[in-house]
Amino acid sequence: MTVWPLTKLAPAATPAAAGAAPAPAAPPTAESLREAWWAADHAIEPRPYWREVRRRFFTNRAGVVALAGLGLIVVTSVLAPLLAPYDPLVGVATDRLMPPFSGSHVLGTDEQGRDLLTRLLYGGQLSLLAGFVPTVIATVIGTAIGTWSGYKRGASGTVLMRGMDMLYAFPAILLAIAIGASLGGGLLNSILAVSVVFIPPIARVAESATRQVVVQEYMEAARLSGAGSLRLLRTQVLPNVLNQILVYASGLVGVAMLIAAGLSFLGLGSQPPTPEWGYMLNSMRDTLYSAPVNTMLPGLMIFLTSVAFNTASDALRESMDMRLT
Amino acid sequence: MFSLIVRRTAMAVPILLGVTVIVFLLMTVLPGDPAQAFLSEDASPEEIAAVRASLGLDDPLPLQYVHWLGNTLTGDLGWSPYRRRDVSDLLAQAWLNTALLAAASAVFGLVGGVALGTYAALRRGRLADRVVSFFSLTGLSVPSFFLAIVMLIVFSATLGWLPSAGPRGWDDGPPSSFPAPPWVMADGLAGALATLAITGPGARGEIVETYGADFVQTLRAKGLSGGRVLVHVGKSAISPVLTTSGLQIGNLLGGAVLIETIFRWPGIGSLVYSAISARDLLVVQGATLVIALSFVVINLLVDVGQATIDPRLRRAVA
Amino acid sequence: MTAAATSTETPPVLLQLNDVSKQFAARVGLRKAAVSAVDGVSLTLRRGDTLGVVGESGCGKSTLARLVVGLVQCDSGDVVFDGRTYRAGRRRTRRDLRDMQMVFQDPHSALNPRATIGEAIAFPLRTQGVSRAETEARVDEVLARVGLHGNYRSHYPHQLSGGQRQRVNIARALALKPKLVVLDESVSALDKSVQAQILDLLLELQVEYGLSYLFISHDLNVVEYMSDRVAVMYLGHVVEECSAEELYRAPLHPYSQVLLESIPKLDPRERGGPSALTDGEMPSPLDPPSGCRFRTRCPFAMDVCATTRPPLVETRPGHLVACHLHPVPESATAGDPIPGEQ
Repeated sequence: MTVWPLTKLAPAATPAAAGAAPAPAAPPTAESLREAWWAADHAIEPRPYWREVRRRFFTNRAGVVALAGLGLIVVTSVLAPLLAPYDPLVGVATDRLMPPFSGSHVLGTDEQGRDLLTRLLYGGQLSLLAGFVPTVIATVIGTAIGTWSGYKRGASGTVLMRGMDMLYAFPAILLAIAIGASLGGGLLNSILAVSVVFIPPIARVAESATRQVVVQEYMEAARLSGAGSLRLLRTQVLPNVLNQILVYASGLVGVAMLIAAGLSFLGLGSQPPTPEWGYMLNSMRDTLYSAPVNTMLPGLMIFLTSVAFNTASDALRESMDMRLT
Repeated sequence: MFSLIVRRTAMAVPILLGVTVIVFLLMTVLPGDPAQAFLSEDASPEEIAAVRASLGLDDPLPLQYVHWLGNTLTGDLGWSPYRRRDVSDLLAQAWLNTALLAAASAVFGLVGGVALGTYAALRRGRLADRVVSFFSLTGLSVPSFFLAIVMLIVFSATLGWLPSAGPRGWDDGPPSSFPAPPWVMADGLAGALATLAITGPGARGEIVETYGADFVQTLRAKGLSGGRVLVHVGKSAISPVLTTSGLQIGNLLGGAVLIETIFRWPGIGSLVYSAISARDLLVVQGATLVIALSFVVINLLVDVGQATIDPRLRRAVA
Repeated sequence: MTAAATSTETPPVLLQLNDVSKQFAARVGLRKAAVSAVDGVSLTLRRGDTLGVVGESGCGKSTLARLVVGLVQCDSGDVVFDGRTYRAGRRRTRRDLRDMQMVFQDPHSALNPRATIGEAIAFPLRTQGVSRAETEARVDEVLARVGLHGNYRSHYPHQLSGGQRQRVNIARALALKPKLVVLDESVSALDKSVQAQILDLLLELQVEYGLSYLFISHDLNVVEYMSDRVAVMYLGHVVEECSAEELYRAPLHPYSQVLLESIPKLDPRERGGPSALTDGEMPSPLDPPSGCRFRTRCPFAMDVCATTRPPLVETRPGHLVACHLHPVPESATAGDPIPGEQ
């Protein structure tokens, strides 16, 4: 016979539950009552986790606005060749530093007479790339290092994490600058530098999350089924640490953008004349007394994108923060 | 207490050594021939080889490292062909200026952050709290170099509070005088924003959480005044705030590089900036080393200071 | 069914622990120290029986459970399971693990929060290379058997109650059709009413699948209800082992007596005076007392207790105790500490 939980049995004895039985004509059996009760209890299919996260995210107004803003920035940057009114690289020497709303230059021109709106649209491509790609690279590598060290705890893990500690001993921007300075300028080198800078913090988050997972009893249960290390990592550890890592990494995209912009501000990022927000900010630095608004525009773009990333990441963290156990 | 200091210092030593290894490797393994910097663009291969030999660049890497570490420990960080001075001389002077800037930022950031956080915690859920949390979110997203430019536009170009020339930067020759107080203020503020943005909400969260603790209920039940309760809460909440602050000081030092460039502040940052464009790698190497070492030492101090304040930690380590 | 096992015919031995010990490395300040979690434990479990292990938290029960299934490797001694001998340090092969499974204590942490119930139960089957069709059939079977509707397969653990989760844990352990199931405090985290249901379910399953249980708990009532034989553990030592019925009727070791006294009684006439324990705290396992480990709390402690560890000896037929108050009877031979061993 089947053993039913007490909660399912108890209502069967009450008149209210008896009245709700499907067939009032025939006297309800205990079994039919249990079935009816069960059906009522589970009429609503449990919402899958990610659908619930999405629902919660979209109830967060700040998060939705930030996400929409990000979407706008990404789309306009990608579509820059279609949207931009001018050539991003060619300027008119006589039209230098025109203020915004002068003639057909909606946002004015830069120090070489190039249309600022055009340059900002194109510049978004590299700036977003320089923030996004290193975060993805660092997340993949950092997760691998962190979960392995947290799971293995042996010599290999210790060596890896002590190495991470040493990289962590450098202030982030400084390490990026030092790597960038040794590699030389260029977008690829900047991506590489920022990736290296972000591997240690992600590895740390991954490691501590993994350590919390490996002491759980479900890890022991899985080991008891004879599963090997890689299978355990893939099926038990990764699904349980990925959330934490992704939330953390999403918060890093904004920081990565800032550091990448800082690098190109120092001349270590994308090389002129290709537009990129950090480099544009630096190249117009000398004109801040004569054309303050124009100078501020690239910085404003970096700021807005970064705010959008951080707000969206905060909203994501809040909507993923559900009691799961 | 003494044994704690010894233990923590001993733990920092491998990190310090690791830092030197990384700094060394950054400049040797990665592309870019330091010998090139000593010569003109069209130097012959023979000339380059001679310089390489004299710099010991042809030795095996571990030997080069030991050699370099020995020199570094005796204070010899090499010679800057671009500035025609010893790197350690340049850094000693620049470090003081950067330390001044970082200290100003730390004071603004930490004191301001804790004050704002406490205020927000006491006004929890009200308008002031929301304003503070909004500013901390945006504060984190402002690139410090952008803020510095905005400050120049506002305070120098528009309001005229700051002299437009600023202190003399490295490219104007060696700085003769100490930076003027208004610049310390402006620089410090620009560098402090990120710290403010992290310390503020951190302090707020700690204080709010501590107010929920059982011992606070007991204090209230005993009839203590709000101010005296706050003192107890502050004591218990300060330790975690210190931890995050310690990490922020590293960011202050790192961020200084960018801010100094804009304010033409004669510190390590502007030194590095000019060295990068001149491919003066020994200066970059030395500066990286000095800042990273300062960071490790500051974290050590924060660690020990924290253990001194927090009896729980003291017991855990002792 | 508790009586059935002790009937005329003695079933064969399934699990035997011979002088197993396990120490964990610990650090006290700068010094390295060793915690002796299990020290020289010998136990026997017969096929179809339930061996209860009872003791306070920290006495080494959970380590013992993990030693048996190989989640922890023992330092010395060996584990004989179903004719296979696992000496110190020998790992269980994947094949070996099919025959021994474990039901864990905490229904919250024993299930992967990211796996559905169906996935959780199927996991050991898939790992063991059972075909997909067979896996499906077995998941359905065990789910039904533990009293859970098939629709629960697509649910996540957080959508289930504690009792339901523990049913899933049992189903997962059963899926591989093991011979031995180690139950480590498997009902301790549940409400009393749910506990009773789970215990009855376990008893039913034992008969149906011919399971042997190693039942570990701090709750004497529960152990009595479940077990044929009971071993009492204190600080890594087994201090007494006998049939459940005898332990509750006539405990010999002072510690067992104290444990039994501590069970709350409904009838006030049965309530004794204050506990005979001289010291309420269990000594630190980092620095266990010499000789008999219970002597620091024992009301009958003698000089000899500090110097000599009392051996676990059979003082009456089938009743073993390790106490200087109960010396080896003249008739017993010293070299035969395993009960019922012919």
